[in-house]
Amino acid sequence: MTIRNALRDHGQRYRPRMACLKKAEKVLLEMQDPCTGVKSQPQRLVITIIPHAITGEDIIAWLADRFQIDAQEARSFGSMLVALGYIYPLQDHKRLVIKPDASLYRFQTPYFWPTQQWPVEDTDYAIYLAKRNIRKKGILELHEQEQYNHLHKWMNHKWDFVVMQAKEQYRAAKERKKPDRVVFDCQERAYWVVHRPPPGTVSAMDYGLDRRTDPNTDETQTPDYYERIMIFTQQSIMRPRVKSSVSIGALVKYSATYSGHDPFLSKCLPSNPWLTDDTTYWTLNMSNVEIPTKMRVERWTFSFKELLSDPRGRDDFRLFLKKEFSGENLAFWEGCEDLKWGTAVAMREKAEQIYKTFLARGAPRWINIDGKTMEITVKGLKHPHRYVLDAAQTHIYMLMKKDSYGRYLKSPVFKETLKKAICPEEHKFNEVQLEQNARNRRPSLSPIIIRQQEQEQRAKMAANAPVDITQLCRFTTPVPHLAVYTGIPDPPSVTASPSLPFLAHTPVCPSPISVALDSTSASERRMEASDGEGNTEVRAPEGGNLSKSRMALSLRRLLKRGCSPSTMFASLSPKCHTAATTSSRIQPITPDEASQAPPRRIGNFFQIKVDIPPECRIYPIESEDEDEENRPASRDAVGTEEIICPWESLTRQNGTG
Amino acid sequence: MPLVNNKVGDDCTASGDKALADGKALVDSLIKVVACYRHLASCVGGCTDSLQLRDELRQTREKAQNLAGDICHHLTSHLRDKSLPDGQRKEMELLWVAFSSCLELLHVDMCKVLNISGIVSLADSASLVHTGLEGGCSDVAARALSLPDLNQAQTDSLPSGLESQERSTMELEISQIDRMIDDMEMKVNVLRWMVEPHGPQYADPLSSTDSVSMAVQSIDEEQQAPTSQPLCQRSHIFVLLLLVGVFFVAATLSLCIFFFS
Repeated sequence: MTIRNALRDHGQRYRPRMACLKKAEKVLLEMQDPCTGVKSQPQRLVITIIPHAITGEDIIAWLADRFQIDAQEARSFGSMLVALGYIYPLQDHKRLVIKPDASLYRFQTPYFWPTQQWPVEDTDYAIYLAKRNIRKKGILELHEQEQYNHLHKWMNHKWDFVVMQAKEQYRAAKERKKPDRVVFDCQERAYWVVHRPPPGTVSAMDYGLDRRTDPNTDETQTPDYYERIMIFTQQSIMRPRVKSSVSIGALVKYSATYSGHDPFLSKCLPSNPWLTDDTTYWTLNMSNVEIPTKMRVERWTFSFKELLSDPRGRDDFRLFLKKEFSGENLAFWEGCEDLKWGTAVAMREKAEQIYKTFLARGAPRWINIDGKTMEITVKGLKHPHRYVLDAAQTHIYMLMKKDSYGRYLKSPVFKETLKKAICPEEHKFNEVQLEQNARNRRPSLSPIIIRQQEQEQRAKMAANAPVDITQLCRFTTPVPHLAVYTGIPDPPSVTASPSLPFLAHTPVCPSPISVALDSTSASERRMEASDGEGNTEVRAPEGGNLSKSRMALSLRRLLKRGCSPSTMFASLSPKCHTAATTSSRIQPITPDEASQAPPRRIGNFFQIKVDIPPECRIYPIESEDEDEENRPASRDAVGTEEIICPWESLTRQNGTG
Repeated sequence: MPLVNNKVGDDCTASGDKALADGKALVDSLIKVVACYRHLASCVGGCTDSLQLRDELRQTREKAQNLAGDICHHLTSHLRDKSLPDGQRKEMELLWVAFSSCLELLHVDMCKVLNISGIVSLADSASLVHTGLEGGCSDVAARALSLPDLNQAQTDSLPSGLESQERSTMELEISQIDRMIDDMEMKVNVLRWMVEPHGPQYADPLSSTDSVSMAVQSIDEEQQAPTSQPLCQRSHIFVLLLLVGVFFVAATLSLCIFFFS
């Protein structure tokens, strides 16, 4: 039997089973037993005496005795019974807790017990509020007033009925004796405090989301039902099994390591916000905090995963890697994470970006992965999907874990952080302060704002990001204004530059040669000054200022000179020019006059023979011999470095060329 | 109520008004019965639960169902009548909405009573929850059944099959109400969002505010204001009496002047 719902929708509207309710009912029936239950006393009001009132301390004593638990747990259990609405307080009716003193409580009548099957109807609430208004005008509290107005608006068609029913219920109540009337009023009031709690309080009846299927109906035994059982059991058989000694050992180890850090099992310094309404714990552990707490830093030593999953730990690790000049690993890992968890629209661009920054030959932040992984990755990149970089990411993760992590834990960066970490004092609130805290509760920052802040921070970091000097060979010179980033802000559009914001400043990339010829000395000076960490903002506008015509002019000059690319490179200061070149090639959509890549043979830096058709120019480094051979053969004497994505090369070969 | 089919304006509206008034009276009484049923249902499972209470519940239920059947016929027939003038149709729709809400409330209460009688059995009197109630609800039942007094025969012993029998009858009745609601929805299409109520947003406080009961209730609350309430009313009555006295004195004086002048 269900309560009729005139809407008859077929969505998620069934309340999930709340097993605690049935159990609480059993406990309550035991408690109210006149012989073996909690002993009751009469409540004395002005004129009347109402029986069956029980004191808080009696309830707690009975619970502790019945279940053989200590007083603290009995108190929590009692509070749960009150919060669910099986017992209601007679004084201070809005705070649903058990006080271990002589304050009085009473059992709620079964009609008002919380049920799983039937949701609490708004019509009833409207009738209740109307009744209270009849009794004494203006008695409704602010939130009740608001609710009343809201219900009046959307239940308007029923409003006559609501008012009439309220009047009739009021009149019917008058027929009862006075003490009974008082008791009934208290019962109803307690019921609505539980089911329509005032704002800012936590309701024990919060059950999360509604379910799609009704848990109270029996499932019909259709063939589909049996099929599901069969599939489930088959999968259970096929599951990989682990020896219980191994799995239990792992569980024991986990519990032993983490039990001190669990806010439920052990103390939460300074205090658990859910219990004391004091949010110091959360503010001290925010992700962008300067000085972390000691517990947090200790967690970083548990495993590499812990370190990476904590944003503050990741920052620390990043700092360490910066000092070791291996920051590209972490940046690559983060880029892969971003790809995995990002939107599907941006996936293609992100994959391209990552390839160009980390994987391609001549990439500015080239990561060191083995040939097999590289081959798999690049082959997969032809049809990029979310997990295309998984193999490479795992490799880099393992590399960081086995190598850098160990060194990080012994490094001065970590030691410094550990020394500076704070250990907050435990709060000791008394009752009054707790109530004050409860009153001063404020909502925290909206997640939208937090996300915006994170994005701003990421953009800032991307802008000021360090450039790694990994290999200083002619092929892998770092690109200053293809600066590294730790996350990709949503790319503005497909046609625009898919990479970072400030590349938009350089819509026309100057020829490397022109830049070199004009500002060699300047760039050399700049290079010395920066010492590997480029202030990319300075360079990018420099490059961007040069005009297209100059580039064309200088290119012609170059062609006339017929200088070999190698000598050209030798004369150039390594920093800017490849940058400019590569940046000119980076934008795959914008056609570039001088950018036709000569077809090359596939080289193999690691001297591993691989069968790959010549169209796939994937390997980052060619052996120098092959390069020398190819260069005179190339049609364009520019022969500049070009980071080509495998999928682009295919189209280029077919289309342009 | 016979179907009104003639197109003569006066007759139509007159009989239509009568139909409306009848319908309204029926719905009002159903609302009253449902309100009383709720009060009775709130005692089920508590320490005042007894055979008498169950009997009262049953009688109230029967009355409610009879009324519901009557109203259903009445309203369905009128609302399916296409020739009903617009104003009356609106009124009918209002009554319809009130009737369906009543039925829903009744349905809820019946389901809850069935549920509770499953959890807390009458046979085991120790398990009846001590809720603090003392008196019975026979006055409420009397009000529901519109009888001046309810004469209940006290049955001391609980017949063994009574509970299961009661359960099965209740289940039957609940399914009956279910079907009635279903039928209603099928037969008549009332657009609920088009229905506009007449009444005020706030129910006016009923005139006889029982000062004593209010004092008793307000002591339960923590607010300090209520103790002034009975005094206020006493002062109002006092002022009124004073004015009346002054008026009488003035009247007698004027009479004296009239007679002796």
